[in-house]
Amino acid sequence: MKRLIKLRVNDKDYELAVEPNQTLVDVLRYTLGLTGTKKGCEVGDCGSCTVIMDGKPVNSCLVLAVQANGRVIRTIEGVEADTGLHPLQVSFVDKGAVQCGFCTPGMVLSAQSLLERNPKPNEAEIRTAISGNLCRCTGYQKIVEAIHDCSEKMTR
Amino acid sequence: MLLPKFDYHEPATLGEACQVMGDLGQKTKALAGGTDLIVNMKKKILSPACLVYLGRIKEMKKIDSSNGLFKIGAGLTAAEVAEMEEIKNNYSALSRGASCLGSPLIRNLATIAGNLVSARPAADFPPPLMAYGARVVLKSSSGERVVSLDDFFKGPGQTLIAPEEILTEIVLDKLRPFSGAGYIKLGTRQTLEISLVNVAAFVSLDGPDGVIKTARIVLGAVGPVPLRAPSGEKALIGEKPSEALLAKAGEAAAFDSKPIDDYRGSAEYRRAMVDVLTRRALNEAINAARSNLN
Ligand code: FES
Ligand code: FES
Repeated sequence: MKRLIKLRVNDKDYELAVEPNQTLVDVLRYTLGLTGTKKGCEVGDCGSCTVIMDGKPVNSCLVLAVQANGRVIRTIEGVEADTGLHPLQVSFVDKGAVQCGFCTPGMVLSAQSLLERNPKPNEAEIRTAISGNLCRCTGYQKIVEAIHDCSEKMTR
Repeated sequence: MLLPKFDYHEPATLGEACQVMGDLGQKTKALAGGTDLIVNMKKKILSPACLVYLGRIKEMKKIDSSNGLFKIGAGLTAAEVAEMEEIKNNYSALSRGASCLGSPLIRNLATIAGNLVSARPAADFPPPLMAYGARVVLKSSSGERVVSLDDFFKGPGQTLIAPEEILTEIVLDKLRPFSGAGYIKLGTRQTLEISLVNVAAFVSLDGPDGVIKTARIVLGAVGPVPLRAPSGEKALIGEKPSEALLAKAGEAAAFDSKPIDDYRGSAEYRRAMVDVLTRRALNEAINAARSNLN
């Protein structure tokens, strides 16, 4: 039986009817059309489905949409401001931290959540924060540099 | 990957949750963080007819220290446990265990209750909790019982929790002065790793330079359930900590372990690592004990 849920996604309120066995990632992608959130492994290993739920980055492939009822969600579509790319996204571009781009939404969200908690992280803290996000292209070094670069820009 | 169909309940209180679990019977599963259960359902290993989501129950997210006990709500996530000041300061090995679990994303979902009830032999919560002598509270509509974690695990994925019961709380004793614990996890990488061997150790000294009064050594991933190492523990009692003593305890613990060969490592290697990690965990425990003046 479908259930009615309320979600606040990227500052917009939605009321949706979902089946209990629909995951949050599927509702974001297929019902709301927010395809910036990716699906890789679907079992919590890769982090490509990362979203920020109630202020914390989580694997949206492991969360049922009904569990997210009443919660506040940020996806990659909510990171960019009216004025253009978020400084973190600029740093990712500047430092060449994006290749195929599949991991990038998750990486950016994990990094953004880190910088919100800890504006001046050291390298180990950066690496830990993105350790649940796999990247098969960049070798991580450029991603770490991008996050470091953004932290420097924003705390200057 | 589609999830099988199921009915879904979302009780707001523990009383309501116990009621629902009791009414629905065998084919029901409690859903906590979902990092294990949802994966098993996607892989069609489990297909419960009904899920009861416990994440809205506030009573399961509290900590309480009164009457010489420290009670931890079993609905707290690994990230919450890892960050809690009281736990960092007093139960550092537990905080360490919580911060080793899964990945940062998983830690924001996975709960203590889920980690204990899923009963994976290599899980991160059982060894430190058993080292601190933890008990778990199992509630149902007909009452509650308190079970030592030592007796809780029955085999991989098996515990003595009944289908209608909910694991609501972890109960620890307040640490006495000069007691402390350590936890070490060995894997081939740091994140999303299933331990090759994980060891927790607890000691209580009768003074900063005193002898060991109580010792507990818990070995993970070297048996069907997390194991106490009785001969390792016995070697320590009444003795003053020294390198030679820890070596003796490490060897004895290796003897107590029951590792198997699998694709992650050989039994022989695991046994050797039990020896090394036991010494190191004991060393951490002794340092923690000496600096814990409480
Ligand atoms: S798709 Fe969710 S972690 Fe891989
Ligand atoms: S850029 Fe391709 S997976 Fe990271």
